Amino acid sequence: MADEDRRRFLKVATCAIGGGVGLAVAGPFVTLIVAPAGKVTVTAPTDPLDLGAAEQFRVGAEPRKVDVVAPMVKDAWIAARNVVLGAAWIRRTAPDKIVALSAICPHLGCSIGWDASAGNFLCPCHDSRFSPEGDKLNGPSERGMDELPVEVRDGRLQLTWVRYKTGQTAREPA
Amino acid sequence: MKTALRDYLRERGVSRGGAPATIAGGASFAYVFGAVLMWLLVIEAVTGLALAAFYAPSATDAWASVAYLQDQAVLGWFLRGLHFHAASATVIVAGLHLVQTALHGAYKKPRELVWWLGILLMVLILAWAVTGYVLRWDQAGYWANKVEVGIAAATPVVGGAIRKLAIGGNDYGNLTLTRFYTLHILLLPAIVGAVTAGHVMLARKLGATPLGDRERTARPRWPDQTLRNAIAVAMMMTVLIVYVVAMHGVELAAPADPSQAYDARPLWYFRWLFELRDLAGRAEKLVALAMPAIVLGALIALPLVDRAPTRELKRRLPYLGGLAGLLALIGGLTLASFIGDARDRDLAKRNTLAEQRAQLARKLARDNGVPVTGASDVFFTSPMARARAVFAARCKSCHDAESMDRKGPVIGPGHGNRSWIMAFVRNPSGDQFWGHSKLVKTDAAMKSFDQMPAADLESVVELIYGESGASDIDEAKRKHGSEVFEIGCSDCHARDEGVAGASAPGLFGLGTREYYLSFISNPRSALHMGRDKSEMPRFDKELSVSDRDALAEYLVWLRTATPADAAALDPVD
Repeated sequence: MADEDRRRFLKVATCAIGGGVGLAVAGPFVTLIVAPAGKVTVTAPTDPLDLGAAEQFRVGAEPRKVDVVAPMVKDAWIAARNVVLGAAWIRRTAPDKIVALSAICPHLGCSIGWDASAGNFLCPCHDSRFSPEGDKLNGPSERGMDELPVEVRDGRLQLTWVRYKTGQTAREPA
Repeated sequence: MKTALRDYLRERGVSRGGAPATIAGGASFAYVFGAVLMWLLVIEAVTGLALAAFYAPSATDAWASVAYLQDQAVLGWFLRGLHFHAASATVIVAGLHLVQTALHGAYKKPRELVWWLGILLMVLILAWAVTGYVLRWDQAGYWANKVEVGIAAATPVVGGAIRKLAIGGNDYGNLTLTRFYTLHILLLPAIVGAVTAGHVMLARKLGATPLGDRERTARPRWPDQTLRNAIAVAMMMTVLIVYVVAMHGVELAAPADPSQAYDARPLWYFRWLFELRDLAGRAEKLVALAMPAIVLGALIALPLVDRAPTRELKRRLPYLGGLAGLLALIGGLTLASFIGDARDRDLAKRNTLAEQRAQLARKLARDNGVPVTGASDVFFTSPMARARAVFAARCKSCHDAESMDRKGPVIGPGHGNRSWIMAFVRNPSGDQFWGHSKLVKTDAAMKSFDQMPAADLESVVELIYGESGASDIDEAKRKHGSEVFEIGCSDCHARDEGVAGASAPGLFGLGTREYYLSFISNPRSALHMGRDKSEMPRFDKELSVSDRDALAEYLVWLRTATPADAAALDPVD
């Protein structure tokens, strides 16, 4: 019986030591792998970005697609300059009003194009259509196109880039 | 429940069931080496997995990703250090395992294959380390690899082909990394895994070599031997973890740079070869290839030459003596190499400089990120780094306050601000200004305006300061200054765009970036100093326009900078 007890003790001791040694490696391993999930690993500029002279956009003209370029993006270990974040459709609706719509489709994130013959926006992936104002016309998209904040400063059009969650009715920043 | 599960698994062929694994002669601490080595392989696999999740095998990104892992990822330094030092531990424990096996005579029939597979594993593990060291793409790993590949390239006949095959073409680059990466994380683990499986299976099948005259009663392996294994593993891990924490992982040198010399040293377990090459002089390449072959040959030959069935120490002395001699030679050479380095003062100085570069690169990578153009360009991410590097190389000897050969005005923080202009106007030939120039010895030098009434002086300084485009101008003073200028200065100087003074520089835009660019490009132009009054060479042919513009930007920055601002800038490489 004493031998049984001894063997049981040895088994428990072995498991305890083995578990401790295993944890010493597994703990840091899991910490390292999980940590990036809770961090901003790719920075996005929060300041308004320059889209060029405001006067190039005229009342009555078709919407114009403009690339949204961040002067600097930090992506984990890299710092990249002039990174294209996406595109916006720009339209001057009144002499003192410019509207910018994100070209990212609210459905599943494809790039929305302008259908000149129909005079409205069309997403090529799943045929969602949007009015020139960005309202949802037909197709699978749950909401209209996402408007982006713009302002004119010293004659230059400034846009604040926001990426919204796709595939839902509510408009929430991603 | 437990039995049900056991039965389930046994019925489906997962476990053999039946008698538990036994160990001949009973449990012993002498048998723990295999278990410790297995555990070290598991650590390498787990930490390697973690590292791979952060590593980018490309010439532009590799160093940056390792620096990110080491300095920014949570506990990245720990797993990286564990991976590196566990590899060292593997070499040490494998060496002990080998010595012990030799002492016990466990290489003898029928265990020759186990011995040879063990030797093969040792070689594979060393190759594994070589393929891993280059991946960080820092100065240390890069240059060590160049030397190692250089040795392999000295192999008669096939050397050139080996080199091209190893580095993936004619020179070091992206393919070098992707190749060594593939070897390190896919091919070698697979081969080492297979050979280890063979080594362990055979060893288990043949059973442990009985120790001394111990009775050969078989005892269950679990838990007696397992506990001893666990204790040995725990002890080794304690040492390893303490070491990893004390070293804060493992060092990372500056990014690989083919243009920057570096005192390349191989990993410590190749130091004996390094020392041997040093001693061999011109025969170094022969020695570097021949010595490993001799050591390897001796180890492989051991079971073939020592064939007598006896395992008694005394009767195997010649063989063991030979083995001990080889090991002593390796140990002695290793020691000699480290001692030689420790005594080399010049080397210590170069290493200190290299370490400073490494720390600077890592700090800049942390603060600014690494440019997509490659890790070496991280040095140019500190503010105005290019301009400051050009200044140090091309301008400093004539313009720095500390310079012994100064010929022109001192350029430093505050250059061109109000007090600088004031001091200049009051005494242009002062030590800080034209004092060291040839101009001072001629009649053409500007005279001192120290006698001018203070209010007039201040106003004219405001006027000249205003040329820089600075926004903090006192308009009333400037207006008065332009009147003073007409009376006191305009005989020699002009203030209109593109107009040279009658006998002195035009002052339009003085202190703007455009002005500095123009001045640096050609100080001898009539608009500036004129051909005969300036000793400063023209730089429009010497420096690219972007370098000149960078210098101009730097000069503008200096106007509002304090010495503290300048000291706070990261040093340039």
